[in-house]
Amino acid sequence: MKNNKEKNDLNSETKKEESAKIETISDFSEDKSDALYDYNYLYSHKDIDCHLPLLITDLGEKKLYDSLSQCNRCGYCETVCPTYMLTGRESISARGRNQIIKMAMTGKIKNKEDAQESVFSCLLCGACQSACYAKVQTPEHVLEARRGIKNYSDTFGVKFGMKILLEKPEALALWIKLGFLMKKLGFAWLAGKLGIYAILGMPAIKEAQETIDNPPLKFLTDYLKKDSDLNPETCTAKEEKITWAYFAPCGPNYIYPKVGLSTINILKRFLGKGIFLDNFCCGLIAYNYGKLKDAKKFAKKNILLFEKYKKKFGDFIIVGDCSSCVAFMKTYEQLFADDEDWRLRAKNFGQNIKDILELAPKFEVKELSGDAKEKLQLGRVTYHDSCRACHGQNIRQEPRDILKKLAGDKFVQLNESDWCCGGAGAFAFTQKQLSKKILLRKIKNIACSRAETVIAGASSCLMQINVGLKNHYPSAKVEHFSVFIDRLTSATARQNDRTTENSNKN
Amino acid sequence: MFKKRRFITVKKEIARITGKDNVRCDAVELMAYSYDAGLSKAAPEAVINFDNINQIAPVVKILYQARIPFLPRLAGTNLSGGTIPLKSGVILNLSQLNKIYQIDTTNNIAVVEPGVVNINLQKELDKFGYFYAPDPASQKVCTIGGNIGENAGGPQCLKYGVTSNNISKLLIITPEGDEITLSEKDAGPGLMSLFIGSEGTLGIAIKAWLKIIPKPKIIKTCTAAFLTIEDSIKAATKIIEAGVLPRALEAMDKTCVDASENIIKNPYPGESEAMLIIELDCDDENEINKNIKEIKNICDNCFSNFFRVADTKTESEALWAIRKGAYPAMARLAPNVLVEDGVVPRPKLPEALKKIKAIIKNYDLKASILFHAGDGNIHPNIIFDERDIEEVKIVKKAGYEILKTCIDLGGSISGEHGIGIEKRVAMNWLYPTATLELFKNIKTSFDPENLSNPDKIVPVSLDSRNEIFSKTHSSDNKILNNILNEVKSRYRADAQSVIVGSDSNSNKNLENENNILSLSALTEIIDLDRENFTVKVEAGIKISRLKELLKTSSLYPALPDYEGTLGGLIAGNCAKNIKNILIGLDIMTSNGEIHSFGGKTLKNVAGYDVAKLFIGSMGAYGIILNATIKLDSKNQDFFEAMPGAVSRTMSTKTAEAMPGAATKDHAHPATTTSAGRQTARFTPGKYSRRLKKVFDPKNLFNSRLYNIKKDSPALSGKDVSSLKDYSMKKLHKQNDLFKLSEQDK
Repeated sequence: MKNNKEKNDLNSETKKEESAKIETISDFSEDKSDALYDYNYLYSHKDIDCHLPLLITDLGEKKLYDSLSQCNRCGYCETVCPTYMLTGRESISARGRNQIIKMAMTGKIKNKEDAQESVFSCLLCGACQSACYAKVQTPEHVLEARRGIKNYSDTFGVKFGMKILLEKPEALALWIKLGFLMKKLGFAWLAGKLGIYAILGMPAIKEAQETIDNPPLKFLTDYLKKDSDLNPETCTAKEEKITWAYFAPCGPNYIYPKVGLSTINILKRFLGKGIFLDNFCCGLIAYNYGKLKDAKKFAKKNILLFEKYKKKFGDFIIVGDCSSCVAFMKTYEQLFADDEDWRLRAKNFGQNIKDILELAPKFEVKELSGDAKEKLQLGRVTYHDSCRACHGQNIRQEPRDILKKLAGDKFVQLNESDWCCGGAGAFAFTQKQLSKKILLRKIKNIACSRAETVIAGASSCLMQINVGLKNHYPSAKVEHFSVFIDRLTSATARQNDRTTENSNKN
Repeated sequence: MFKKRRFITVKKEIARITGKDNVRCDAVELMAYSYDAGLSKAAPEAVINFDNINQIAPVVKILYQARIPFLPRLAGTNLSGGTIPLKSGVILNLSQLNKIYQIDTTNNIAVVEPGVVNINLQKELDKFGYFYAPDPASQKVCTIGGNIGENAGGPQCLKYGVTSNNISKLLIITPEGDEITLSEKDAGPGLMSLFIGSEGTLGIAIKAWLKIIPKPKIIKTCTAAFLTIEDSIKAATKIIEAGVLPRALEAMDKTCVDASENIIKNPYPGESEAMLIIELDCDDENEINKNIKEIKNICDNCFSNFFRVADTKTESEALWAIRKGAYPAMARLAPNVLVEDGVVPRPKLPEALKKIKAIIKNYDLKASILFHAGDGNIHPNIIFDERDIEEVKIVKKAGYEILKTCIDLGGSISGEHGIGIEKRVAMNWLYPTATLELFKNIKTSFDPENLSNPDKIVPVSLDSRNEIFSKTHSSDNKILNNILNEVKSRYRADAQSVIVGSDSNSNKNLENENNILSLSALTEIIDLDRENFTVKVEAGIKISRLKELLKTSSLYPALPDYEGTLGGLIAGNCAKNIKNILIGLDIMTSNGEIHSFGGKTLKNVAGYDVAKLFIGSMGAYGIILNATIKLDSKNQDFFEAMPGAVSRTMSTKTAEAMPGAATKDHAHPATTTSAGRQTARFTPGKYSRRLKKVFDPKNLFNSRLYNIKKDSPALSGKDVSSLKDYSMKKLHKQNDLFKLSEQDK
């Protein structure tokens, strides 16, 4: 009896208190009924094709709303979110984005266009996801929200660029070459005006191209197709075992052919025989720009290519040298979450794709001698974690280990190395102010490390950090991991070759 | 609708101070400030971002003029709804105020802005071989400003004290827009202690002088696993009883450890149900090894099935990652988690745990339990889905029952997370109405218009049924009753009193007084809790006598040799260390109301910290009836135990008795205090005057301290002398309790 009475007391007190609140949880909490479950204010049923049916999360497959609800607002992601740390604004923080998207979905934010700043200011770096114990997929949520906001992927540039990239990559290559040629001839402004770079879907290139010192007129594929060693058609499986296949991402292909060539050199040097896939774009650009269908097409083409050569050569790994693309290809499964057949194939593909950074432990290297270092004019070296390497693929230690091994005490750690540099695809273009702040912070950290060479693993980082260093800290330069490793190991390789030759003779 | 207009009138003016971009009223921006890590939600009408601390005072002034509520906010990781703008109003976003001004290793002080993230400060301090003691589990995100607001603790607070023990000075903007400095060195009542833990209801801290501590040479982390939670608690209690004071003593159950399993590998055997993390620090290798041996023995005796001392820093960091990730990792199990924060006296932990488990089982909920075993703070993490309204109701109900259990066991409703909105109801169960009224008045004295974080901490609707509770104070204690009657009769007669402990502390000025109220007859030890290492003792007891009595039980209060009474020591703030060991206080106000603050728990953030406010109050706010203080099992090393509060301010006499402190004491001669000197120095400021009106509106107690003409209209124009005479005579006959000096007529 007494217990009951106490309980009643408790209830009445609670009620009393709650009625005193202006807005209590019940006013805000959502109805869990199934009807509401599928319905949302972010996008209508008609647009369902433009959205992911399911998110494959660390805690199982979830619908967008459930995945959003997984965030319990603990706030542990806040201090790693660059946009929050630089502005202190909750609305452009990781937790804020999740909550805002959730509110937009449940109709609490009446005009979803209002959420634009919040979702478009996201770098998609994924630092929040690394920090989150529940691995809430904030970047995926942001992308879904972007897709839910109209006119996002419908600009002429993106549409046309996608189409041409899918169907006639050669034409696109020509187009870009035209732009680069103009630049070489001193008409860079004209190229910019013609919207040549915007078509690529990476308007950042327009900005970045100003600092590309030597725009290539010959692309990576042009070089690689001529290399008969790498030609999968002329190579037969029985003669030689293939261990790797090179995947040429757009960055190295169109802007940094040297990166791709260096990767090939390293792979040949340390992993033996391999082929060049002559692949298609990975589809990340399409995916990030809301063109899910196009992204699927890209993915399928690449998967088919892989399966074709797998039949011919047996097991091999696909190696890419732009972390953004590699990280995306590892999650191809996400694209086909509702397609059993393709999902399995995508998963299989994803398991066989490797970032050049994570292969580092397979490279047998020794520290360079003092003479060699001097010869190579090796200064202090530091490593910048590209977001899609560290947050997207959890690659942190491998590249550092090899750099330490090679450069010895010339290798120094970079403070806040896993902070996004602000490149992030189109971010530098669309969020100029913020991007500049983020970049400056990175440059400041680089300057503090007093490094002369900054190593990065993604094309976007190369462009962005290059811009920053040129403007603010010209005594350092940024170099792709492959280029650096190739440069250092080719020298040692030569030495090693000589010694082995000598010993053989003896 | 009118709410929006309310802000628009001042928007331009504010924008002129902060810049246009920093004042935001757009819907999405506002919605982003409608939540924190708790469950309550409400949106503000505007958000103001600051990039300079000098902008805050003018903005607050404008808001005060316009009577618009405001609420300082930082990381927004509050677990009790403390950062929810209940009355709408303006969010003052301070998170960009994150400068560290100074790290001063000579004076062991770091000067910071409120937005500095705890871990970032620790990283900076680490470069100099120092650390700042409060280390909440959320230190990766939580800010110093938030820590001050909530009086945050953390694992290390077992040895080094909570935030209020580790702050030396604060620069504050009051709700009226005044800029004031509060320091622990201030003469008079402990305003700074009152401010710390006030959850932004008394103002905004915009700059803090933090005490920093040199890192101990050796830090060792041990971990033990047990087959039952009960065993682990037993071990924890025994460790403390054995006189080992670890740097941290944390416990968690299997659910906690399992939740983060995918992320962090744990070393525990599969069948373990509970784990302890015990961290020791010391400068002496031999001693630390001895202690570890002892701890291992204790764990073995409590049937632990695993014990390990971390070899490397990485290993100990991994152990801490499990502990500090225990709360966020709950997100892996369900969308939401309710973290309760009850605290009980340490020996009651097993009982509390049993009851909490029963409640959780009773409501068919799933929860993990982790607790700061060293200080009796239990965090049941109940998981649920906030989209299920029924479930939310049940969870809240279970939460309230857990809090009631903690109160029943002599504990409190919050050890470190604060009251905010979500525990306001529970305040009704912990405090009688009169005390809650007192809290309300304290709030009003700082914030007359109820603008700064309104409607937090004190329940909106007071529960009149609590009268039962307050009656328990009318005890059989004859002496106490006599004092009570006397105070009441003097109150009715508007007769003033001079509160005196023993005579030792009184200075010559008092000799002429004719209305002394002596407490020297209150000398009983009310409750000596050996297991909990606390003693509740009446305030009239002499320190020397108290020490003598405790020594027979080989317990030692970390107090200097002091001639006067305990009450005198507290009221006169005669030993700075008193701030670190005083955990409970019963007081009587001039109208004869008796209030209890704090209790036997080592941590308590339920309501304003009035107990510490009374340190240095010099009897002017009320009579200190009894005090609960922490005890040590060893006599000599209380200086080590509280390095943050090394007694720099003890009287010179004390310093001689404590050679370890002597040098430091001489380095700070200016801060040496004694009651007599303080009386001379203390001139009440605006806020201590206002508080005086709260506690003693008629200015009856030690009225000389507060200028009557200026500040106490209640007394002006009244002739009290005849009444005084009457009561004096009556008293004389009653008993010899009240010492009456010669009448001056």
